[in-house]
Amino acid sequence: MNVEITDLTRRFGRTQAVAGVDLAVGAGVFGLLGPNGAGKTSLLRMLATVIPPSSGTLKLLGRDPGSYPQRRQIRRRLGYLPQNLGYYAGFTVAEFVEYFALLKEMPPERVPTAVATAMERTGLGDKARAKLRTLSGGMLRRAGIAQAIVNEPELLLLDEPTAGLDPQQRVAFRALLRDLGQRATVVVSTHLVEDVGAACSQVALMDRGKIVFCGTPAELTAQAEGTDAEGDAPLERGYSAVLAAARTSTGAW
Amino acid sequence: MNVDEMPQPRGRFENRLEAELVRVVAERAAAVPGTLGAQGTAAKSRTAVVWARSPGPVERIAGRLLRSPGLARALVTTPSLLLPWLIASAAVLAAGAAATIGTGKPMVAVLAPAVAAAGIAYAYGPGIDPAWELSRSLAVSDRMVLLVRALAVFGLDAGLGLAASAASARAVGITFGWLVPMTALCCLTLAVATVARSANTGVGAGLAGWALLILGGQASNGRFTAAIGDPALVLPYLAFAAVCVVIALYATRTPKGTR
Repeated sequence: MNVEITDLTRRFGRTQAVAGVDLAVGAGVFGLLGPNGAGKTSLLRMLATVIPPSSGTLKLLGRDPGSYPQRRQIRRRLGYLPQNLGYYAGFTVAEFVEYFALLKEMPPERVPTAVATAMERTGLGDKARAKLRTLSGGMLRRAGIAQAIVNEPELLLLDEPTAGLDPQQRVAFRALLRDLGQRATVVVSTHLVEDVGAACSQVALMDRGKIVFCGTPAELTAQAEGTDAEGDAPLERGYSAVLAAARTSTGAW
Repeated sequence: MNVDEMPQPRGRFENRLEAELVRVVAERAAAVPGTLGAQGTAAKSRTAVVWARSPGPVERIAGRLLRSPGLARALVTTPSLLLPWLIASAAVLAAGAAATIGTGKPMVAVLAPAVAAAGIAYAYGPGIDPAWELSRSLAVSDRMVLLVRALAVFGLDAGLGLAASAASARAVGITFGWLVPMTALCCLTLAVATVARSANTGVGAGLAGWALLILGGQASNGRFTAAIGDPALVLPYLAFAAVCVVIALYATRTPKGTR
């Protein structure tokens, strides 16, 4: 398993963003669904070693991110796309991707090919020289994805990767996800159920800091059977049914 | 025409090899999402040529010294080490040197710490870096990047200040006197910038602090250099710098409780 989590919590002051999560994720594309404020981003930031957990244990790629040498090894094998991608406006796309490739400690001789490949895979090949400040939101998102995959990560964490992408780009991106998932563990946090249905082999649904469902997209769809859950697509109805059941059992809406 | 220069008839192997290469390239282009068949392939070869960048001499030397191409790249992209900033800094100090020569007042000693402090604030520390969240997930730590950048900015600005001081010989008496206040001022700027997560706030605090010292010296002793060349102030300056470094280290630590 590339991600092993036991009773993981994260507090921000009095707010408990992640409240005792247990999870094991192997190779493939893993979807993290949930409403806004469910704790998806906090969980992803802990997996990206950006913030440490408040309690619980976390093992990434068989290593302990609490130890500096092991954290560094994890980070060399990690790709991360944050929800809010900060960028250097004066950099070109190629410079941006190259910068992060070098800071991920890729061997310098491998960097040129890796950058070209990452830009091609995200459809930014003809934008290599474009300054980031001139790009649209969707293109910036793709530049963010390019820097995340440039080191061919063993663990790829994507927070709302399809935000800002047009429908055609989203279809291409899902294909890219499936391709990446054949060799790595890809964790995708999203609130777009259709992304999960199209690209993920496993899915977890978070609500108020806890995982309330974990299974395949088909199993999530099946949760709607015999309920009057709302939704335009079967997977959406499964999502609504699980969420409703979780909130009914705790008596909160 | 030499026999070797004549076009040779292609053998079956060459034809098969070419066909295989074309097939592999076409299949790869079709399989890689985000590319559009032959257009994607063409774009790929174009990209490899377009973006290829060879590090400049400074970056190469820095890479060897730091033993990290990533750190070297981070160093040469420091905003306050870019050419326009360096030119501006040199221009300010040159003006200071000219004023020193013209008036006999040590203007370089007043300007050099302020220039260095502003440069330190724009060295892109944690929280100020636009890509800060991303930089927290990288193998080369954000703290190391900040340390290298801050030391480089300090060293370069100190060098420029010393050159300006040497050029204005009338102020040679306090050529080295301003280095200690400059250290304290840079540490103050760094601490405020990292705590406030704003380069502008850091610059504001640094310049305000420096102005208070200068004007305070002028008011109490009638000399605005009272805060610069006094040997009795060296220890307080260094103690203050140490406190600021501790604050900056605390502000850039990995957060445990809240963020």
